[in-house]
Amino acid sequence: MTEPRFDEVIHASTRLAIVSLLAATDWADFKFIRDGAGLSDSALSKQLSILEEAGYVTIRKAFVGKRPRTSVSLSKHGRRAFEGHVTALQQIVASAGTSLRVG
Amino acid sequence: MSEHRLETGDAASELAEIKRRQAGVIQAVLVPRWYWWVVGLLLVPLGVVTDSHQRVATAVGAVVVALIIAALSVWMITGAFRGAQVHPATLGSGGSLYIVGFVWLVVGVTLVTAFGLQAEGNRYPGTLATILAAALLIIGGPILMSLLRRAMVERSPAAPR
Repeated sequence: MTEPRFDEVIHASTRLAIVSLLAATDWADFKFIRDGAGLSDSALSKQLSILEEAGYVTIRKAFVGKRPRTSVSLSKHGRRAFEGHVTALQQIVASAGTSLRVG
Repeated sequence: MSEHRLETGDAASELAEIKRRQAGVIQAVLVPRWYWWVVGLLLVPLGVVTDSHQRVATAVGAVVVALIIAALSVWMITGAFRGAQVHPATLGSGGSLYIVGFVWLVVGVTLVTAFGLQAEGNRYPGTLATILAAALLIIGGPILMSLLRRAMVERSPAAPR
């Protein structure tokens, strides 16, 4: 069982959307994440930089023919953090009527 | 150290949001309906050619159809088609078994039908067997995707435990 750990980096709504998308995939294109999360190019780039700095995502840039292609995957560290965050949320819901203090 | 207090309702909303996002990804990476139509309809001309007993045409047809189906399937499986590939943990061993089972079911039913019809002296065993295979793919493929979608959503970490 994953240890519950509320994660402030993932908790932010835009990053929650990105990480939730990535958690279901092995990898995803920049465009796929942008469209799935409903973000602009610049907003997604900014959030991905934050996630990359935290060590939660791996960003790969390559060329397919002459077109640049950016793919993103959740790192092992990011996946563990996401699972811990989800477990923490589930624990809060399970203990209905109370609130969990994390810090 | 920052301190955060999250109420039950907020946590439930966040879990629902995670589940909704993941269900969207799962829906997006599923094989589309047209794939089953293309693969199914490609098999029928192969059956027709096989019944013509022209060896060269049959061999060429088999190679061409196999290459097209293989290329199309790789395009789907690797995620190049959608721009994302589903994580093995999301698919799970149950999902993999559904896919393998379906492929073997279609192959098995097609071969048994073809050889059975041939043994009975039917003049078009290949054509009839591939029409059956096409029907299985066109009807069964979307059902398989529906089962996979349900299994993957249930495996989502945000699913109720």
